[in-house]
Amino acid sequence: MATLLMIDFVQLIGRLHPLLVHLPIGILLFAALLRLFLKQAKLDSINNAITIALFWGTIGAIGSVITGYLLSQSGEYDESLISSHQWFGISVAFFSAVGYYLQKNHHAHTKIFMVLLVVLIFITGHLGGSLTHGSDYLTEVALSATKEKVDTRKAIPNIEEAILYTDIIKPILQANCYDCHGPNKQKAKLRLDLPDYILKGSKDGTIIDPKHVEECAFIKRLFLPLDNKDHMPPKEKPQLSKQDLDLLKWWVSSGADFSQKIKEINQPVNIKPVLLALKTGTKVEKVETTFIPSTSVSAADPAVLKEIQSNGIAVFPVSQSTNYLSVNFLAVDTFSSKSLSILTPISKQLIWLKLSNTPIADQDIKIIAELSSLTRLSLDRTSISDAGLAFLKNSSSLEYLNLVGTKVTINGLKQLTGLKNLKQIYLFQSGISADQWKELKNIFPNAYLDSGGYKVPTIKGDTTEKKTAIE
Amino acid sequence: MKKDIHNQKLVKEANRTMLQQSTRRHFLKEGAMGFGALALGSMLGGCFGNSSSSSANLFDATNPLAPRPPMFPGKAKSVIYLHMAGAPSQLEIFSYKPELSKLDGQDCPPSLLAGKKFAFIQGVPKMLGPQANFRRHGESGIWLSDNLPHLSTVIDDIAMLNAVTTDQFNHAPGQLLMHTGSARLGRPSIGSWVTYGMGSENKNLPGFVVLTSGGNDPDAGKSAWGSGFLPSVYQGVQCRGEGDPVLFIKDPKGMDRDIRKASIDAINKVNQEQYQEYNDPEILSRISQYEMAYKMQISVPGVMDINDEPAYIHEMYGTKPGEACFANNVLLARKLVEKGVRFVQLFDWGWDNHGDSAFNAVDIGLVNKCRKVDKPITALILDLKQRGLLDETLIVWGSEFGRTPMQENREGKKMAFKGRDHHAGAFSMWMAGGGIKGGTSYGESDEIGYNIVSGKTEAFDIQATILNQLGFDHEKLTYESQGRPFRLTDVSGKVITDIIA
Repeated sequence: MATLLMIDFVQLIGRLHPLLVHLPIGILLFAALLRLFLKQAKLDSINNAITIALFWGTIGAIGSVITGYLLSQSGEYDESLISSHQWFGISVAFFSAVGYYLQKNHHAHTKIFMVLLVVLIFITGHLGGSLTHGSDYLTEVALSATKEKVDTRKAIPNIEEAILYTDIIKPILQANCYDCHGPNKQKAKLRLDLPDYILKGSKDGTIIDPKHVEECAFIKRLFLPLDNKDHMPPKEKPQLSKQDLDLLKWWVSSGADFSQKIKEINQPVNIKPVLLALKTGTKVEKVETTFIPSTSVSAADPAVLKEIQSNGIAVFPVSQSTNYLSVNFLAVDTFSSKSLSILTPISKQLIWLKLSNTPIADQDIKIIAELSSLTRLSLDRTSISDAGLAFLKNSSSLEYLNLVGTKVTINGLKQLTGLKNLKQIYLFQSGISADQWKELKNIFPNAYLDSGGYKVPTIKGDTTEKKTAIE
Repeated sequence: MKKDIHNQKLVKEANRTMLQQSTRRHFLKEGAMGFGALALGSMLGGCFGNSSSSSANLFDATNPLAPRPPMFPGKAKSVIYLHMAGAPSQLEIFSYKPELSKLDGQDCPPSLLAGKKFAFIQGVPKMLGPQANFRRHGESGIWLSDNLPHLSTVIDDIAMLNAVTTDQFNHAPGQLLMHTGSARLGRPSIGSWVTYGMGSENKNLPGFVVLTSGGNDPDAGKSAWGSGFLPSVYQGVQCRGEGDPVLFIKDPKGMDRDIRKASIDAINKVNQEQYQEYNDPEILSRISQYEMAYKMQISVPGVMDINDEPAYIHEMYGTKPGEACFANNVLLARKLVEKGVRFVQLFDWGWDNHGDSAFNAVDIGLVNKCRKVDKPITALILDLKQRGLLDETLIVWGSEFGRTPMQENREGKKMAFKGRDHHAGAFSMWMAGGGIKGGTSYGESDEIGYNIVSGKTEAFDIQATILNQLGFDHEKLTYESQGRPFRLTDVSGKVITDIIA
């Protein structure tokens, strides 16, 4: 118990290192700057201050060396980096002490020692930064113009022949884990950059167990809720995508082998689309039915929104994270073309519009055509006809069009062939005859067309009651 | 003139109440404690600033039901929750267990009874094989019994949850857990949480409507749609299946619409004054509720009338206008959702298949109950689809628990009919529409349907999934009460991603 407490205490002191190091850096640099750049006349008046600064800088440097040494005992860092940082740190402390001695005795060579001290501080600082932030911390920014971090993994055209670990798992680990569990740093004594290290595990033992995939530390921590302190990667770091998580889980459950080819491993349903995406180098195609543009938009004028609301029209953002708006006329008592034109100022933001069951006329669609961002438009149970649809022929954002219970015919829909984004068209009880569906499907090959008219036939059981067990 | 006298009377009454309320206690409280609390509050506020992980209270007292955006773009905009109160036997509807037939009539092995509590089973019961024939249906090949011939035709639109489990084996607590996230009274129901988060898309209608059928309300009573500690404006509005949908919705005799309006205006004026005095947001809710009630007098009779639906719809749903029945409620649910109501909660009573009567027998009463819901539910899915609304309407079918693979032996005796006891260990629910991946099955129970093997699904997981489909992170939709933020799923809940499209 006592030793445990002792170790914790030592670690606590060690962890003060990052806090402490900035003091000597600042104080010593300040002293050196004064000593090097002030004119002799001014220098005389503050020589004592420089001496005092060098004294406290030295004390700080010694403190930093001690805490730094204790911190290095945690073993979470790259040993060669640690060792150079350690020796440069010790030399800073040593030379600042020498500097203090020379300065106090007004020695002629103080200036040279000051230059040396500054150089040493810079080197030590840089090495320390490399330890905490990774050795590519600076170069990463410098090269960022050529390197996009997220999801630009190269396509793997011959995915069946690819090796699961080398070609898929390793890049995921590299992008997400190496910073803390790699060559430079080994938090919890865990390294993930080489197969042997992965198998060896962390200070708590092995981390991978294909027999208990959900329970082993490697998978368990990835899937913990973000708020859990054991969740990996830590909350403030970039998180793994769902696909990457699935891939890692798949790798572990397939035995965490380092040389197996994809084709040798059983591929569950959830992995197949992910592999397909890796093959083409695209992101996994999600079935997008939320009808929200990927580009963002500026917020609509609140005054305009207020005016719209005062007409009884419901207008609100489609989600808290976007400025895109949804509008419906469900509670509008008195509809007129005018109530439509007040929507024009929000044409950039308005993406979902519900005009179901309103007395909207064909001419009014002209106003709707100006709402160029619309992705969803519900005109069901209105008196819209082909003439109205004609106005929509340039509404290229449209993805969902509800024309249930309208008079539109196939000729009206033919005017919309240019709308390549149309994904769903609802045409129950419209003017489309049964023999036209085939033709219509040819016109909109990529859209889901719903003819409606589904029947639930009444069968015997629907109207009779079972009285006994045998019937 | 009459109006003025009326107003004066009301104001006088309000003043008197107010004077009664303002006592020495108030003086002390507001004088000493008030200042102290103010200072302490501002000091502590700096130390423990609200953590950003939960939403601040979303309640806007002046317009509590204003439509509000979800946290992220959800696929569903509204929910129709079909609850079969009483707990239908999963073994005669969804869970195909051929192994159980082999055990039919044998004594239950002691391993299944050790440490278990049952509502009625005593001693050693006999095993009861499935009392229905099962078949695979649709492209997905999901098993379904012949008790639901209509639903089998739309099975590819449905995601089955076959490993639902609960820790409650009595009706009321079981229902409360499913709907409020707690087996005890006092928590807000899921419909209340949803309307609290999203408001209503139609300012003339309530956001949360409850319809019951089967002759009784569920055992949990009104608490199953209560608002708990959320502002009371978010509780479910129960509408009646026959007669006036809402009691006193018509203007009383001799009082025309204008007088009605004038009296509501007067009441609201008094309430407004009251609010300025006390700053209690519940008073603002009350004002908005008076206005809502006034608007509902016009909007509700229209939307709650199924007589104006065309004949083909009645044929499709199997509705019986004028009668209180499940089919009518399902059609009403579709109408309400079409009008922008967020959450429609249906309870159908009479699924308690104990075997103590023909009505409660798994091979008689349960079959009849299935027949009554099969056609309307199937019609609902297809009707929403042909109206372009299925993708934005989440349908949930479920109950409070399931039933035992053993035959019930109440008082240790053989019973007149075949029935099963309450069983919390494993049962089935399903979801459809609203961004749910149709034709999927999630979770598995063991070969006699007694325990969960994989894909364990708890009430919290279902609640988390419903909120997720609407665009809410169930961990962040919170409300401050009694000094801490509460949420529907309390400290559990995981979105069932496997069934999401």
